[in-house]
Amino acid sequence: MMESVLFQIASALYVAGTGLGFVYLYNRDERLSRWMHNLLAVGVVFHLASSGIRLKHFWDIPENRWYLPVNSFFGALSAMALAITATFVVVEGRHRLGILGAFVLPWACLAALGGVFRVHSMGDTEIYGLAPALQSYWMNIHPLVIMVAYAVFGNAFGVGVALLVQERQLRSKRPQELCYRLPSIEELDTLNYRLVAAGFPVLTVGIIMGGIWAHNAWGRFWGWDAKETWSLITALVYAVFLHQRLVKGWRGRKAVYTSMLGFACVVFTFVGVNFLSRLHGYLSAR
Amino acid sequence: MELLLAGLNHKSGVAAAARDNLAAAGAAEFLRRLREAGWEEAVVLSTCNRLEIYAAAAGGEPKERLGALARLIEAAAGAPVGGHLYLRSGFDAARHLFAVSSGLDSLVTGENEILGQVKSAYETAFAARMTDKLTNIIFQRAIFVGRQARADTGISAGQLSVASVAAALAERIFGTLQDSSVLILGAGQMAEIAGRHLLSAKPSRLRIANRTFERGSELAAALSPAAEAVRWEDFPALLETTDIVLASTGAPEPVLTRAMVESAMPARMGRSLFLIDIAMPRDIEDAAGELDHVYLYTLADLQGIVDENMSRRKKEISAADRLVEAKAREFADWLAAVRAGEQASLRHHPGRSLRRGEVSPGGVGAARDGEPQEERS
Repeated sequence: MMESVLFQIASALYVAGTGLGFVYLYNRDERLSRWMHNLLAVGVVFHLASSGIRLKHFWDIPENRWYLPVNSFFGALSAMALAITATFVVVEGRHRLGILGAFVLPWACLAALGGVFRVHSMGDTEIYGLAPALQSYWMNIHPLVIMVAYAVFGNAFGVGVALLVQERQLRSKRPQELCYRLPSIEELDTLNYRLVAAGFPVLTVGIIMGGIWAHNAWGRFWGWDAKETWSLITALVYAVFLHQRLVKGWRGRKAVYTSMLGFACVVFTFVGVNFLSRLHGYLSAR
Repeated sequence: MELLLAGLNHKSGVAAAARDNLAAAGAAEFLRRLREAGWEEAVVLSTCNRLEIYAAAAGGEPKERLGALARLIEAAAGAPVGGHLYLRSGFDAARHLFAVSSGLDSLVTGENEILGQVKSAYETAFAARMTDKLTNIIFQRAIFVGRQARADTGISAGQLSVASVAAALAERIFGTLQDSSVLILGAGQMAEIAGRHLLSAKPSRLRIANRTFERGSELAAALSPAAEAVRWEDFPALLETTDIVLASTGAPEPVLTRAMVESAMPARMGRSLFLIDIAMPRDIEDAAGELDHVYLYTLADLQGIVDENMSRRKKEISAADRLVEAKAREFADWLAAVRAGEQASLRHHPGRSLRRGEVSPGGVGAARDGEPQEERS
């Protein structure tokens, strides 16, 4: 109960912070950016408190002890929202890119609100025992690594949107104030590239870890389960992005579209596959 | 203690000769005369477009004291200017000073140079030991309000010259220009002005291609020791290693074609190319701007942005006026409280880091090079 209350407060703070991010796009008052960061940071604290309680309840089930509670859809959504917000606070906060909040944070909000919706539709925060195959130390590594990669890709997506907006502004020949507030084309492009370049190896390692775990648990490294397939597709799209950029100099719009396609794959792998996958389905398992 | 102001500005319609006399006298001379006349606190703001004396009087009727200030100005002008002078005291004087430091009283709304001039007028008076509690506080306050007006409202937002708009756009494409290389086509006056602007953003490289190589070399030498003249026929090949092209030749036909840009793009590996065409007739083919990663701005585009910035500043005047009015009111209230012997302090805007600016107003006058400024002296 307490867990879901704290989670909902955190979600509300994320939404409020994101709202300020949108206002900040059109109003150059620095306090907006500062308050956006403050709200997000407080949200993260509430979220961590909520996660702590979740962990306690999760560990109350003996076979779950010491494993991360991300075996349910709620657990995964919650972790996702936390990861995207935390990545934003760290990356954009450090580079003083509060202006990107409006582009990146909607994904955190979507994940958080998805969690809120899930809590209300399920009536609880989905704490249940781990299936025997999942009772492995990999449970603490594989999903975590993958989610970090997803959060980084989510940030890259937001940066990509900002880049498209900035390009449009400059092409219009009548740039609005927004143009002078957003980072430059080359900065956004570099940030987009760096985020993907950071996320890609993490995702690859995460997938390989998944393979090793699958080998231990199910006796095969790779089984073309829908999630496995789609995560491979995701990794391939990002591999194309990196290859084309480094070899062919794909930048700007073309690069952003590729990076966006990659993130569409991420979202599908994360949400859509639940309806297809027997082994990885948060929605089908239980 | 009352704050008094006697002054003239560009709107006052004083004869040119009188204005020249006043400008020639200078702030230091005025301070000397003020001291001789028995004034203990005074600051003189003297620029091409204004002469204002702010003084504090302990005793006597403000009207009389203002009359004395007016006579002092008239003596220096060597002509009757009495009818043109504005004489103010208390709240009205404070409001005027804040409006001046905010750039609201300038020919070019929100220009930055006046803030530096207010600061140096204060420093000159301070060095001459002509400031005390009231003038210290009102001038530090004026610098603070000037900064706040510019930070909180849009009165000094946006560039007001074609060259500075072009430089600002270049920064929207490349971030800092430190890794960007500039190529100037032509060596005329416009090329020089725009070149200086781009140079102030410190690009990594600046090359000049002109049909007459010698003229290009001359401009390169005039601009910067780092600038380099190149042969006209070599410039298409340089597009591969150039980020910003500034075209300003007298050629009757476009000299930079879409085909030239297109063939340079693969080697650029997707890096943006900013083409600035300030030539009349045009130097760069319109079609070049349709290419991916290429941004083409013409003189008309840039002028359009300048006009827009100008009207945007004008729209912000009322917001800045409100700020000035509120700050002047705050100051007048503070002064009244001090006079009544109460404990009073002037609040700063809560939670603002502008406070720093008040203690040490360093760098206030850092106007952007080449921006139209009203009060250049």
